[in-house]
Amino acid sequence: MFLFLQTTLNGLVLGGLYSLAAVGFSLIFGVLGIVNLTHGIFVVAGAFGALVLYNEFGLDPLLAMLPVGIVLFAVGYIYQRTVIHWAISRASLVASLVVTFGVAMIGRNLMQLTFGPDAHSITPSYSFSSLTFGPLQIDVVRVVALGASLVLLLLLALVLAKTHFGRAVRATAQQPLAAELSGLNVQRLHGLTFGISAALAGASGAIIGIVQPFTPASEVAWTLNAFIVVVLGGIGSPAGALVGGILLGLINAYTAQYIGPSLTQAAMFLVLVLMLLLRPNGLLGNAFGESR
Amino acid sequence: MSKTILSGRAVTKKFRGLTAIEDVEFDIPEGAIYGLIGPNGAGKSTLFNLITGYYALTSGEIRFFDRDLASLPTYRRNQAGIARAFQISKPFPALTVRENVRVGAMFGKPERTNFDIVTDEALSIAGITELADRTAEGLTVGALRKLEIARAVATRPKLLLADEPCAGLNPTETEEMVQCLRNVRERGTTVWLVEHDMRAVTSICDRIIVIDAGRKIAEGTPREVVNNPKVIAAYLGTPVEDGN
Amino acid sequence: MNRSLAIIAALAALIVIAVLPLWMPPFYTRVVQLFFFSAALATAWNILGGYTGYWSFGHTVFIGIGAFASAHLVTHLGPFGSGPWSMVVPVLLSGLICGLFAAILAYPILRLRGIYFAIAMLGVGQVVGELVTNISWFQGGVGVFLAAPVPQGMPPEQFFYYLFAGLLILCLAVSFWVRHSRFGYALLAIREDEDTAMMLGVATERYKIAAFVMSAVLVGLLGAVYGYTVGYFTTSSVFRLDFSLNMIVFCLIGGIGTLFGPVIGTAVMLLLTQVLLSGFLDIHLLITGVIVVAIILIMPGGILGALRPKRRASASKAEPAAKVQS
Repeated sequence: MFLFLQTTLNGLVLGGLYSLAAVGFSLIFGVLGIVNLTHGIFVVAGAFGALVLYNEFGLDPLLAMLPVGIVLFAVGYIYQRTVIHWAISRASLVASLVVTFGVAMIGRNLMQLTFGPDAHSITPSYSFSSLTFGPLQIDVVRVVALGASLVLLLLLALVLAKTHFGRAVRATAQQPLAAELSGLNVQRLHGLTFGISAALAGASGAIIGIVQPFTPASEVAWTLNAFIVVVLGGIGSPAGALVGGILLGLINAYTAQYIGPSLTQAAMFLVLVLMLLLRPNGLLGNAFGESR
Repeated sequence: MSKTILSGRAVTKKFRGLTAIEDVEFDIPEGAIYGLIGPNGAGKSTLFNLITGYYALTSGEIRFFDRDLASLPTYRRNQAGIARAFQISKPFPALTVRENVRVGAMFGKPERTNFDIVTDEALSIAGITELADRTAEGLTVGALRKLEIARAVATRPKLLLADEPCAGLNPTETEEMVQCLRNVRERGTTVWLVEHDMRAVTSICDRIIVIDAGRKIAEGTPREVVNNPKVIAAYLGTPVEDGN
Repeated sequence: MNRSLAIIAALAALIVIAVLPLWMPPFYTRVVQLFFFSAALATAWNILGGYTGYWSFGHTVFIGIGAFASAHLVTHLGPFGSGPWSMVVPVLLSGLICGLFAAILAYPILRLRGIYFAIAMLGVGQVVGELVTNISWFQGGVGVFLAAPVPQGMPPEQFFYYLFAGLLILCLAVSFWVRHSRFGYALLAIREDEDTAMMLGVATERYKIAAFVMSAVLVGLLGAVYGYTVGYFTTSSVFRLDFSLNMIVFCLIGGIGTLFGPVIGTAVMLLLTQVLLSGFLDIHLLITGVIVVAIILIMPGGILGALRPKRRASASKAEPAAKVQS
């Protein structure tokens, strides 16, 4: 029973991370209809950014989330306004799938050239301390990671629900043409959506860096995780990302504990395929309706 | 004119409480060109959807060559010989015009024939032989509409239901479409079309059926129909309905 | 091109292929062998991805199954005769096993469209790979042996050169037949608009499954022979993500949905990465990425698409439908 509780706890923590790492992917998918295969690059780039800031300036990874997020916001915005926009206007929406895939290859190779192919991790002073609740034990970094993820997700949810920007994003997702006719600058909104998505991915990368090791090649796994989270939870909303992320975290933790740590990927994909067949719009559906 | 190809008896369709089609009767003779007109929302599309099986009848029956259609799903009705050309054409964009038509020729009927001959014939009936090697994307609305007709004709139907084939076409294109529908009939296919363009309808139809608010209000030759007071009232609004 | 000219060109190509390895240095024989193998894979992928519009991101699963099936057939039931002919039975059976696996998989997975199908196939590739590694009977973790019965006096690279040349010709023949048959028209119609195709009387389900199985069998045969070329392999040497991705990239670059596009794309990319830039191993990925992005932005129809202006806009449509499955 304790084992089960401990596993569940680990799954929840992992789930929080998956949610934050995936929410930007989900937003882009919902608003622009693009499956952004560069997403994992943003995550891993965030982790490397935090690593550099920690090694060079001793900046705590949690604080590094801010500068990393700002830089990646700019990268994401420019990326959408140039490459993504060109791909969509010259070819088709699906061509953007291939383009983002190509850019991911470039990004991975650049990171490999800069940091080498080996695994890195960030180890701040609190890396090895842990909290105990009766018989349950949890690392401080994991509690911090979960907390930070939830705070950022909540912030995003508030922004989407309450602000003018959030309403504009939702309008653009549902009826791009109508939104444009009502005076919204759809291109700019798409750029901002990409920017926010990249910033959140980078922030999650900074946290991931203290919780688990990462390599340039991990980007594939993070892109796939994001896809699975979206399929499980639903497209375009922080709530969907949270539900999907936590489910994925639990599946991961239970599989590792009760079936075998080497079968976690197989279990994740099995659930993915089953979910696609049974409920293709995710548990919470598409936040922006069936507009696409 | 010989046998009746399509007949409807007390055809009725209700959507929840709303009656879309009520007690409509029709007999389309083989080899004719019939028109179906009526004001917007009269139920023309619903009627066509009932014939192709997209909707199920609430009551009444529709017979195709004395065969009750009720038990046949859409694709079987297509194979039995009822084809439909849509107003919004859905071509296969990256395929050439000929390839588009060829798909209709190959799969419209279970039996195999010389698909080249069927394809070429359908292209010439629709008057798009010279466009055959162009890809479907980038065609004009008029050409797309003809492609839609050609693809339907290539399935070798006995009855073609055409959904507003002239909508949005300029006068020249309308004239060509009228000729195209005449060609379809020449080939031995009965045509029933919904159309708003009164000049087109009156110039090609043998007879016209008029429905309004789900009921049939008139049937006759184009001349009879346009002079029918009920039809005029339906289109212009009767003094009772139209208070101001 | 007129018919007799095409036949003469094909015969000339055959003769060149036949005599080439007799004077070519072994290194180039191996490069051309790799070219035949990769081009055949891309051609097989193209039947499903190019003609039918179902982009599989996990086709390496059939390479893996083909290779492992051959190894286990030979280990447990072999040998199947002696000399080079002993390869025939295991290779054919491996293709058959891939076909069966695809047929079972097809029914659920082909209900998915577009990106969902693509990613689900990626998942299938990962899952099967992990199962082969972790279920001890398959020996995917420790590896399996598959000795190649190379004829005496023949260099192995020559032997496999001819084998892969034969398989490429087989794949091209199947692809050619598909493109010009009623079956192929059904696939094109499915790619362009599955619902309209169904309305015109195309039995979409049946044709999709047939295309999937056909593509899987060809890749399975190639995977089995590939297993013989490496002689010893683990899961990670045959269930390889880069195999899956190369099939897509080569088709994209040459011209997806065309007969020779996959072959041309493979030739261009291998020339670039294996010959011209063979000294820059650590930036292969970067180069491939740049080329992929450039191709999409500059000539979405691939090389063949760009050569035929009339169909320029067309070939880019050979992609999975953009719609989200709902």
